[in-house]
Amino acid sequence: MKKPPREEPRDDLRITPPKTWAAGVPAVVHALEYSLEQAGPRETAVDLLTMNQVGGIDCPGCAWADPAPGHRHRNEYCENGAKHINDEATTRRITAGFFREHPVSDLAGRSDLWLNQQGRLTEPMVKRPGSDHYEPISWSDALALLADELRSLGTPDEAVFYTSGRVSNEAAFVLQLFARAFGTNNLPDCSNMCHESSGFALHETLGTGKGTVSLQDLHHADLIFLVGQNPGTNHPRQLSALEEAKRNGARVVAVNPLPEAGLMRFKNPQKASGIVGRGVQIADRFLHIRPGGDLALFQALNRLLLEAEDARPGEVLDHDFIRESTSGFEEFAEHTRGVSWADVLTATGLTRAEIEAVRDDVLRSERVVVCWAMGVTQHKHGVPTIREMVNFLLLRGNLGRAGTGACPVRGHSNVQGDRTMGIWEQMPDSFLDALRDEFGFDPPRAHGLDSVNCIRAMREGRVKVFLGVAGNFVRAAPDSAVTEEAVRRCRLTAHISTKLNRSHAVCGETALILPTLGRTERDHQAGGEQFVTVENSMSEVHSSRGRLKPASPLLLSEVAILCRLARRTLGDGPPGVPWGEFEADYGAVRDRISRIVPGLHDFNRRVARPGGIRLPNPVNEGVFRTETGKARFTANAGHMPYVPEGHLLLQTLRSHDQWNTVPYTSNDRYRGIHGSRRVVLVNPADLTALGLAEKDRVDLVSVWHDDAERRAEGFEVVPYPTARGSAAAYYPETQVLVPLDSVADISNQPTSKAVLVRLEKTAPAAP
Amino acid sequence: MTAVEETIEVAVPVRAAYDQWTQFKSFPRFTDTVLRVEQVRPALVLWVVGRGPLRREYATEIVEQVPDSHLVWRSLGRGPRQRGEVRFRAAGEGRTAITVRVWAEPRGPVGLLAAVPGLARRMVRRELTNFGRFIEGHGEAGGGWRGTIRGGQVRPQEPEPPRSRVAGWPVG
Repeated sequence: MKKPPREEPRDDLRITPPKTWAAGVPAVVHALEYSLEQAGPRETAVDLLTMNQVGGIDCPGCAWADPAPGHRHRNEYCENGAKHINDEATTRRITAGFFREHPVSDLAGRSDLWLNQQGRLTEPMVKRPGSDHYEPISWSDALALLADELRSLGTPDEAVFYTSGRVSNEAAFVLQLFARAFGTNNLPDCSNMCHESSGFALHETLGTGKGTVSLQDLHHADLIFLVGQNPGTNHPRQLSALEEAKRNGARVVAVNPLPEAGLMRFKNPQKASGIVGRGVQIADRFLHIRPGGDLALFQALNRLLLEAEDARPGEVLDHDFIRESTSGFEEFAEHTRGVSWADVLTATGLTRAEIEAVRDDVLRSERVVVCWAMGVTQHKHGVPTIREMVNFLLLRGNLGRAGTGACPVRGHSNVQGDRTMGIWEQMPDSFLDALRDEFGFDPPRAHGLDSVNCIRAMREGRVKVFLGVAGNFVRAAPDSAVTEEAVRRCRLTAHISTKLNRSHAVCGETALILPTLGRTERDHQAGGEQFVTVENSMSEVHSSRGRLKPASPLLLSEVAILCRLARRTLGDGPPGVPWGEFEADYGAVRDRISRIVPGLHDFNRRVARPGGIRLPNPVNEGVFRTETGKARFTANAGHMPYVPEGHLLLQTLRSHDQWNTVPYTSNDRYRGIHGSRRVVLVNPADLTALGLAEKDRVDLVSVWHDDAERRAEGFEVVPYPTARGSAAAYYPETQVLVPLDSVADISNQPTSKAVLVRLEKTAPAAP
Repeated sequence: MTAVEETIEVAVPVRAAYDQWTQFKSFPRFTDTVLRVEQVRPALVLWVVGRGPLRREYATEIVEQVPDSHLVWRSLGRGPRQRGEVRFRAAGEGRTAITVRVWAEPRGPVGLLAAVPGLARRMVRRELTNFGRFIEGHGEAGGGWRGTIRGGQVRPQEPEPPRSRVAGWPVG
């Protein structure tokens, strides 16, 4: 165990060749090294050996599904999951003395890395108006202060309740119930910023906002597309599923602007072949696509499939499926036949031969799965791109059959479950009616604010109180300067958190830190020891139970905090909500969920089974709850990001040593970056054209059609095989460049994978 | 491929025989070789089969399923390939003829066993007889799935009555 750093870590940038494979022995070494720096051997062992096991802790690192009970490894986690769980289980503690030593203004000048490294929050803290220090406050006074502020608002819509995907089903259900009983649908969440485009596109075309595949589908697919995702870093356990698929004979097509290590080769550290051998090749074909070119790629593939059908009538398309289960085929086909090859080649940066080779892969494959992540969703045309991928799946009946389907790969461990629990600012009347009938109050019907609109409302003074449950909203949100200014305009900000982050330092006039239990910790309530439940990316709901002693006796669980806040705020109303019972026994919350949420009937009994509950997906039962009652083909207008000469299209991304907004070190070993996160990765040919060289210092300047200057200063240039015309730099440091109004059509999701920038050369840093 | 065809008659109506057959998770209750079954969804079923020290896990896709008529399946994955079908036909008042046809690739320990002349036929016969005793002993099915599958895809059927206040989930 190491002590927390007192000073900011400083190091010089060192560049090594990017790795061409992921995991292997180094993953084990790095995971253990970081774990033992943070936590003791006992905590590390308890966490790792119960992680993702039946009855153990659900890894908060990502939402990838666990293998079925009986098929799990003794060590069923990845490098990043191990780091993340022990980052939470750290033995470092933040006490009142820390806040006396570090005023808020000092914390606001600290890096994300430094803040996270200080350890666990241990007692409630308040920053009073005009003060530059957090000071201790009792739970009773803290919740009374927040409740008084909420009650003093002119309207409930002047408050927002933000959720990050770590929040359990039980806490999410209680939060949305409280917000709606209070009188608002202002429930922005991190999904607004990651997979909102997936939800809208899938709902419109398939009638469900969720993916359709299980692990078994991936295992038995003939062809798997990985589009705009980096499984080696962001969901490494997907590599095990891909390894199994490859053993069964699958081919993999990776589509990405960067040739990530995890897309190329996987050395499974659970197997001898992964330790001493070469591992397994993941991508059989890598399409080095320009950012935002995915829509054009799938349009071209769809055109090629239509033409293949013309050449061999009855042999290419699944006519029975198209006739019986879809609508809109004719309009789609007519539109798609008109797709211009010139536009496709410009938008993708690929050759026609490369795309035709993929077409041949598709024609040889009976079963196809398409996986995607934020490289697809965080574009202006994210929704049309996913609709086009659905078109692609529909053409050959690649939905509902074994080994086929749509697979949005989600990041936060319970981001999907939180939506299932009603965390959405636009929940339909059917859900609100159910709440009314179950709890005896009439929830508000007007849609609330999503994340982007919440920032706009705070900036304009229309929102005065912000409560964040988990997460780091200030850093996760786009347009950092605008977001920070907006948050600082709030009368009160409060965060239910396990660790310190910038959202505590950039805060409202009054600010509260409400420290909470982590996933790793035992949760004792009046009704006995509790567990919580989560839903993974494949709609499987299961329990999570921590085994460690809480970081402090003063910690409350998220459910407890929210129930107490609800009682303080709402007094005796509404009478139908037993907040005290909910706090004492989360089973009481699940009983109510079971009466409201489809597929979770008999929740308490069924979730106790090993493996939990698999929620039904209507698509796999032949049911499409769309406007036409069938799966919908759509005609999507082409879109090509405009990149004037001298500019680059920047995508923000995570390093390998990072979890969401939290960097663990300044290294990114897969990409060969060491010692610094303020780097911009640029194709060598583009560097030559721009007159730049390795380690030149530049400012990144965002180009947008308003008067604001968005500048990220002091970056070093790294030649890297990004797609021509594009660049990449780390999130959240470059969130400052993403204009708040640069959002995806329809979904209102920030376009963090398509930021138009120019690089301005600056003087070298002083030695 | 080793091909086997066996038929038995059972003293229950077609609907009872068919419905019981669709309850794949109950197969370990009466067969000698099926150890565990997981139905991922209607058209995707995982099987663990074996005798003695031999074990094999594999997934099957239900390719066709028509209530009170037949099921057709095939195995998935890298193991020995297998496909099969079971057909149900009324054979007089309250009686059903059940015909099973299985084609198996003689590969791997289990596959090679199946290739021993007459062994596969005896195994299928025995398991079919076990099923017959089971359903005749109960006299009615312990559940049933009445959906239709064509081309590996479930065709819509009458929805079950909702068990929660919200009938369908509108968002993800």
